[in-house]
Amino acid sequence: MAAVETMRSEWTKFRSIPSNVPVLLATVAVMIGAGFLTANGASKNAQAAGAMFDAAYISMYGGFLFAQISVGGLGVLAVTSEYATGMIRTSLTVVPRRGRLLAAKVWTFGLITLVMGEVAAFGSFLLGQIAIGANGAPAVSLADPGVLRAVFGMGLIWVLVGLIGVGIGVLLRDTMAATTVVVAVNFIIPIIGPRLMPQAMGDWVTVYWPIQAGLRITSTVPDPERLAPWTGLGLMAACTAVLLLAAFAVFRSRDA
Amino acid sequence: MIEITGLTKRFGAKTAVDDLTFSVEPGRVTGFLGPNGAGKSTTMRMILGLDRPDAGTVTVNGHDYVGLARPMHEVGALLDARAVHKSRTARDHLLCLAQTNAIPARRVDEVLELVGLASVARKRAGSFSLGMGQRLGIAVALLGDPKVLLFDEPVNGLDPEGIKWIRELMRGLAAENRTVLVSSHLMSEVAQTADHLVVIGKGRLIADIGIGEFVRQGSNVLVRADDAERLVPRLVEAGGTVQSGTDGSFIVTGLEARRIGEEALAAGVVLTELTPQRSLEQAYMDLTRDSVEFQASVA
Repeated sequence: MAAVETMRSEWTKFRSIPSNVPVLLATVAVMIGAGFLTANGASKNAQAAGAMFDAAYISMYGGFLFAQISVGGLGVLAVTSEYATGMIRTSLTVVPRRGRLLAAKVWTFGLITLVMGEVAAFGSFLLGQIAIGANGAPAVSLADPGVLRAVFGMGLIWVLVGLIGVGIGVLLRDTMAATTVVVAVNFIIPIIGPRLMPQAMGDWVTVYWPIQAGLRITSTVPDPERLAPWTGLGLMAACTAVLLLAAFAVFRSRDA
Repeated sequence: MIEITGLTKRFGAKTAVDDLTFSVEPGRVTGFLGPNGAGKSTTMRMILGLDRPDAGTVTVNGHDYVGLARPMHEVGALLDARAVHKSRTARDHLLCLAQTNAIPARRVDEVLELVGLASVARKRAGSFSLGMGQRLGIAVALLGDPKVLLFDEPVNGLDPEGIKWIRELMRGLAAENRTVLVSSHLMSEVAQTADHLVVIGKGRLIADIGIGEFVRQGSNVLVRADDAERLVPRLVEAGGTVQSGTDGSFIVTGLEARRIGEEALAAGVVLTELTPQRSLEQAYMDLTRDSVEFQASVA
């Protein structure tokens, strides 16, 4: 199958750049480590938070804020490094069907981020619960309602963040520009933005901005003012799909 | 066999390739010549589907390149040897390309051996010299054992030994009845390798001609001889065109200096001067003078 052959090639491309695998492993370590620290800090105030204390969410979110930068960056680089080096012309010469090449990139990078995202999610959840329990706060287990969905969902968020990087990388082709946009889209606008924006706009961003909506999948405490878990993830996935469709359309029509 | 019909490519207001029609036959090396900016690389990129023509068609062995599922088995190309991720090893570079066309890893090692890079197969491509990079690019072209090969300026940066190697490689590939198209902006580079020439300037076809004919058309030789009356008929008979010059000299067109010398020897005529006036390079420059994109002005 030509599609599988092209995916195998994309995996070879990914693993044969010496920095990629170490960066990916370091990202998993940072997510678990920073997740542990935030879980430890937050669980000391668990009493004050009361029913709003979300043990699953808090064990992953702190680490994810750091991890998502390099997940998005790796997605960008999977594409822009080919443009920067001229490798894209060689790649398109051996795979002239452009849709197949980009699809192989999307699937391969999607699978890589899925596997590593789940490792990071379950790792930071399990270590985080130990910290929470040690501080005498209510830790949860994977058997509790919504917890498995939240932890598994965090891995899916990794995939979407990575693919947003791939899509923006295709559209912009330049590493610096694409990385800047990815950081703006997934970090600056949704995390820092609401504090600087007018109230109504900030509230809108908090509810509907793709990554904010998507991260609802990782929460176990319902919040009536925000989207339901799967609705939120669906919104983020739909936005990512639209971005990728645009990337495919541009990639097909542009001279390489 | 590559067939190009009415091929046109515009970049904004500039027409890079202008209604170009020619075909590249198997079993011989076709030199693709033109000054810098003549449209050679753009033409090659269109053959490979990297650029989309604004008009016209290109087929490779009767197929549209972009439609080929595993093109490396049909066409091998060296476009830009520096188009390599610098931190990837030579072997991984070849392997990731081979995998897209279901070419086994064994073939990667074979090709590395063939181009003389086996000993540096696990070195990063970024550490390679220009010549080694060129060999790596050629290795990519050879991976699928294709019937059609395109080389864009393959001798750039090669040392004399490397140049000799690639000439022999191209001759060998043509001898195996493959189609070989090699571009250059220097006549001298292809003169010794090509059997056929396609010359373009400003995107237009200037000449599509056998190398022998080009040489014949291209050479003027100034001759002085003690007994011109006996020599001239022999030269005409040998295929030359003779024009009388002033002061007893004459200009021979269509015969190489050596051939004229041989005729003089056979006739027992003493030559007092035998001066080739136009080299192949000169003939090529005359041909493309009007279509040079960037020309230094004579101050």
